[in-house]
Amino acid sequence: MAHDAIDTGGAELSAEERRLLEAFMADNRLFYGPDPAIMRNHSLAPRTAAEAAVLDAGLDANRINLVRGRLSSALEETFTMIEQTGVAPGAKWGDLVSSIFTAAGDLSQIGPRGIVGFATVSHYPVQFIAKYWIDDPTVGVRDGDAFIHNDSRYGNIHNTDQSMIMPVFDGSELVCWVATTIHEGECGAIEPGGMPSIAETKFDEGLKMCPFKCAENFQLKRDLVNFLQNSVRDPKLQLFDMKVKLHASIRLRERVLAVIREFGRDYLIATLRKTLEDTEAEVRRRIAEMPDGTCRIDTFIDSSLREHILGKWPLTITVKGEKMIWDLRGACPELTNRSINTTLASLKTSLVSNLLVYVWPDLPPNQGVFSPIDVLTDRNSLLDCSDDAPNAMSLIPLFRALSTPSVLLAKFLYCMPKRYTAIAASHYNQPATFVYGGLTQHHEITGNFCADINGNGSGAREDNDGEHGLSPTFGAYCDTGEYELAEEELPYLRIVAQKLTTDRTGFGKHRGGMGYEQIVTVKNSEAFGFMTGQCGGKFPSAVGLFGGYGCPAYPLAKIKDINIFEVMKTEPDKVRHGIADYMNEPSIAGGRYVMQDAALNFEVCSEGEIYMICQGSGGGYGDVLEREPWRVRRDIEEKLLTRDCAEKVYHLRFDPQSGNVDEAATAAARDAERAARRARGMPFDEFCAKWVKDGPDSALPYLGSWGDNHGPVVAQPPGGARTVMPADAVAGIVISNPRERRIAELEAENAALKARLAAS
Amino acid sequence: MDMDTGEGRAMKRVSVDIGGTFTDCFVAWGGRYVQAKALTTHHNLAAGFNEALALAVAELGITTRELLGSVDSVRYSTTLGTNALIERKGPRIGLIVTAGFDSVVPLSRGRGYGDGLSYQAQHDIPRAQRPEPLVPIPLIRPLRERVGYDGSVLLALDEEDVRRQLRELVDQGAETLVVLLANSVVNPEHELRVREIFQAEYPGWFLGAVPMLLSHQVAGRKGEYGRAMSTIVDGFLHQAMYHGLGSLELSLRDNGYRLPMLINHNSGGMAQLNSTDALQTVHSGPVAGIAASEHIALGSDIGHVIATDMGGTSFDIGIVTADGERHYDFNPIIDRWLVSIPMVHLVTLGAGGGSIAAWDALLQLVKIGPESAGSDPGPACYGRGGRMPTVTDADLQLGYLDPANYAQGRIRLHARRAERALLDTLAAPLGLDAVGIAKVIRETVDHQMADGIATELRARGYSPAEFTLLAYGGNGPLHCCGIANALGITRVLAPPFSSVFSALGAGNVNQLHIHEKSTYTVLFHTGRRQMLTDYTQLNATIAELKQRGIDDLVRQGIAADAVRHRVEFDMRYGNQRAETAVTCDLERFDSLHDALALIAAFHRRYGERFGAGSQATEAGVRINTIRVSSFVDVGKVRFGDITPPAARLHAEPFGMRDCHFAGHAGPLPTRLYDERALAPGSFIAGPAIITTAATTYLVEPGWRFHAAAHGAAWFTRDGATEA
Repeated sequence: MAHDAIDTGGAELSAEERRLLEAFMADNRLFYGPDPAIMRNHSLAPRTAAEAAVLDAGLDANRINLVRGRLSSALEETFTMIEQTGVAPGAKWGDLVSSIFTAAGDLSQIGPRGIVGFATVSHYPVQFIAKYWIDDPTVGVRDGDAFIHNDSRYGNIHNTDQSMIMPVFDGSELVCWVATTIHEGECGAIEPGGMPSIAETKFDEGLKMCPFKCAENFQLKRDLVNFLQNSVRDPKLQLFDMKVKLHASIRLRERVLAVIREFGRDYLIATLRKTLEDTEAEVRRRIAEMPDGTCRIDTFIDSSLREHILGKWPLTITVKGEKMIWDLRGACPELTNRSINTTLASLKTSLVSNLLVYVWPDLPPNQGVFSPIDVLTDRNSLLDCSDDAPNAMSLIPLFRALSTPSVLLAKFLYCMPKRYTAIAASHYNQPATFVYGGLTQHHEITGNFCADINGNGSGAREDNDGEHGLSPTFGAYCDTGEYELAEEELPYLRIVAQKLTTDRTGFGKHRGGMGYEQIVTVKNSEAFGFMTGQCGGKFPSAVGLFGGYGCPAYPLAKIKDINIFEVMKTEPDKVRHGIADYMNEPSIAGGRYVMQDAALNFEVCSEGEIYMICQGSGGGYGDVLEREPWRVRRDIEEKLLTRDCAEKVYHLRFDPQSGNVDEAATAAARDAERAARRARGMPFDEFCAKWVKDGPDSALPYLGSWGDNHGPVVAQPPGGARTVMPADAVAGIVISNPRERRIAELEAENAALKARLAAS
Repeated sequence: MDMDTGEGRAMKRVSVDIGGTFTDCFVAWGGRYVQAKALTTHHNLAAGFNEALALAVAELGITTRELLGSVDSVRYSTTLGTNALIERKGPRIGLIVTAGFDSVVPLSRGRGYGDGLSYQAQHDIPRAQRPEPLVPIPLIRPLRERVGYDGSVLLALDEEDVRRQLRELVDQGAETLVVLLANSVVNPEHELRVREIFQAEYPGWFLGAVPMLLSHQVAGRKGEYGRAMSTIVDGFLHQAMYHGLGSLELSLRDNGYRLPMLINHNSGGMAQLNSTDALQTVHSGPVAGIAASEHIALGSDIGHVIATDMGGTSFDIGIVTADGERHYDFNPIIDRWLVSIPMVHLVTLGAGGGSIAAWDALLQLVKIGPESAGSDPGPACYGRGGRMPTVTDADLQLGYLDPANYAQGRIRLHARRAERALLDTLAAPLGLDAVGIAKVIRETVDHQMADGIATELRARGYSPAEFTLLAYGGNGPLHCCGIANALGITRVLAPPFSSVFSALGAGNVNQLHIHEKSTYTVLFHTGRRQMLTDYTQLNATIAELKQRGIDDLVRQGIAADAVRHRVEFDMRYGNQRAETAVTCDLERFDSLHDALALIAAFHRRYGERFGAGSQATEAGVRINTIRVSSFVDVGKVRFGDITPPAARLHAEPFGMRDCHFAGHAGPLPTRLYDERALAPGSFIAGPAIITTAATTYLVEPGWRFHAAAHGAAWFTRDGATEA
């Protein structure tokens, strides 16, 4: 039932009776859950009377510009404050934002730095506070109050992000809101670090702070802080960053009040609203200048983080006039007891981030950017999950949203005379980093993630290769940090801190920027471990463009039951500095060498055991046969590519005597490959007849629509039977526990063996 | 120009700032000051310097030999290193790193693509491009060794591997070698051993010997990327600096100078050439300008100062506070590279006279910069082909500039071209005439610079209104009243000798060396409820750093007992990243009282910066870096009193012109003055324009101008008190 719907038992009520009933219901509300009216609406709020009055008054546009400059300065000041004082790794490495909202709760401006995704998600809790707490006599919103929030069901990228929201009053009038947000990490979930991969219900996710007041008179309520500290593994982090966010918000409020003193309340209100409306109008103009048409892509998520799946992630973009529709229907159904679902609001945040990072990075990041775009999803799907589904690792579908739309939009934008940025293949799109937790060498409990999340390789571009390990797919100018400093704080040692990979890229005329290997072990702790939230161990996640290859698949490797520190002392020659070197020559006695899916549920790492993952590459651009030989040669010199791979993929030929590229032989080899391609080709109808099937192979753990994205949704979960759901009635599915499935497998084997024994 | 203090009468000193365009020279000569300028001669720096010196000695009526034989020192600040870096003129560098750290430098912490670029460029990920590397990937060699965070050797150095990697790098033509081994600042054993092996295999007396730099000897803090880049940039600049400055020193010797040449550092200090790392000279020119500001601020008792240098393409900001605290960047970005040496805080905004004004269709506003017309083609009014309106065009349109006498008449300004550019570009969207457009540009750029200043000051816990604005550079005094208005600042000082201001600063810094070391010292462990009570290691580190400073200065002929120290601690609550340096009188710790005193000092400074109540001692307190500045006070050039004189002398204008000002509908009759006709005490009420040899002073309505000694000038807002 919808949030505010009232069940009348089918009775027809008069208008007066309905009013009475609504009043009664309002007075007797059990719980203020996520409000669909807020959470499903990403449009700008209508102009308020105050906004209409000041905008109609025709204020001086140039003074509005000066106000915008003042606010920008204040936002940058507070961003710097948080970055320098925050404790969470996210705060240290740029995963934060400070922002300012209209009185209605629309986000108008963030600082020059910061994660743009926050610019389109932070308004939901503000609107919730405005709608429910302002007039609630037990709560209220007064000068000096601050509200905290993290639950993504009320708006957020994900639950590890905590926001501090503060109203700003001019006299008695609430004129705007300010907020500061940090990716905090640890939040008391079933696994440390804030992004539990094994959460089966939302109650495994740790803190679930719907917006509530945590400060009055500009001071945190210590009893509430204590409660929150009591609920997480790292009480120091919780306390300290609440202070950081509060004081940054206070500072921002002071600056806003200074703007009111200097320019007047009208100019503040006008600036906040006009920024949104101007941005929205510009986006409509840019959509209108694109050619009309439809493009689509189907990509697949290959892991629930607990088992392999093939979960469909489809996107169709249609442009018509100044309208743009993003259709994500036909996606994998909600996984009711897996943590990789996302709410619709979080999904939209990631979609708009893609626009702001990869398509129109010149736009001011605010809520007006996405307002003109329509989004279609199936309720109860992985991309629009119910409020009851766990979503702590929503990053898995969100990272697709962060990287995929621009690849489709490239097809609209390629012919455009004006470029707002370069056209590029997909940025690598997995959180390829270690999440950690446990006891440090300094006897402190911690849980968080490494800054390697910020080192995704970028997609190849129309005019150049991608850049290696450049930035996270969700933002710009983030930082992978310094490993010496990380080792000083945490009980791990990087056997490989950063080493670019070889032969592992999205090939193309221009190749994707490479990822790098990370090899880690634990030192000086008896209780420390790792997890990852990475997919793409089997199905490449970052897609190529215009013939470029997608990125490779990146599994996880580990060597258990060894102590590498003993090996360093006694057999130093066996110490290696590359994943392939360890796994291709398993030379450490007693070591258990494991290659597995990239996803790793939290497990304790004994001192000296080795865990290995790989940060990934962006997609390639263009045909590999068009890659200029000098680029290939450079990659070989930089050990990013082997000659073998150059010959097989790029069809380059080398002079056996000098080792130089043989241009003539290369041209001939490429011509031969072009001819072979033509020979392999077939007419489209013939291709369809040969390849199109009625349904997925029964061995595939397939989840999602089959064929037409608007058709029925097929669910073949691991260990479960196939179900087919109508497109308009998608329901969540439950997947059995992989441990139970393993036990069942072993029991079956056991029974078979017993039967064989009995038979013999 | 005469000077008036006893100490000043004895002072004989030459200080020089070798910039990209001009070599500025400032000479203190026993009671007189002389300034001179010549074009920088990049092929041989000595030629430009000698030309400037010749102008100075001509004014003094002495010979160059007489001057150089009598001065107590010759001091240089130079942009030589900056230029070499921008032009990529340096040796082929080979880099040896701990195995597993192979790609730390190429990956540049992910965000290296954006270091040194604007926010807009940083945000444009599809167009992100790292700069051409100083060390190409094939010249990076991994070495089998590993030291832990605490200095313990985990994997012994493989000496055969060392020899193999060295041989390959030398064979590949490496001309300079840099060694970056993990945690070498805690235990440098492996880095030192690599050098021993290198010296044994490739002795220095071999023809074509290759220099080797060890990272722990260039930067003392943890953080492998910053330390690597510090060492690489140092190695890259070494030859250019050595040859450039070496030729200068030889030229000085030929002209009778017998003392060691002193080089200004970007730390705000100076040292002899043989005690100077090339990296320390980068940006030493602008930093010398901040040193000059500090010298003037402390000598004039004017409280906090925000030093601003507005030129043709950029606007530099530096902070000088009355409490004597030095504002440093500990990880400054030099060109496109993040390094980890302490450098005097300097921020550059992309706004100057040449900044282009354009229409932002999205937000319906006029946008200034960061694009600049530079000097070629320059603003539209230069008549050199520039078609886009600039800040200078707006200033001309508003009547502030004299078309016939701009830049001492060297550049003739074309008012019609300025007007055309303003109208063609901005009339339609703004719906204004040329004057209206110019007012918008003027107001926008002044506010833009004010916002930049405000961000800098407020992020450090200061309120702009508490500051005096120091305005120099070609466009500084023209815009200072507008900037001050936007900041709520009521007092502006155009300093003396502003056209050779960095050279002046170069003559007024101490010989100084900064040594720092990473530490993990927990003063208060909150989990264990434990205070540090054993100070042995802490004191040993402080003593070690002090001794290194003393050694540096003694090597330069300074008596050990003349050396003074300032000890700073980079402190944190919990595991935060705060880079707050806490200066403390303590040079050693003897009791709990000392530890608590340091915690209290941290608490105080942190609260000032981030707000009372923001402190979190309960999360634990830690020292992360110990830094010791060792210096020796040397005599300064004293100006005597440059505060506004008591007298308010009438000044006679040479003319009158209509000028336009923001906030005033029509033109205001504005009096025109020539600085040469003014004397200390001359008092002028705005609106007024004063032309000087180097710039134009604009006294806006509501402001007063008061001339002081040595060409200093004060601007005070009506109703505010003078200094």
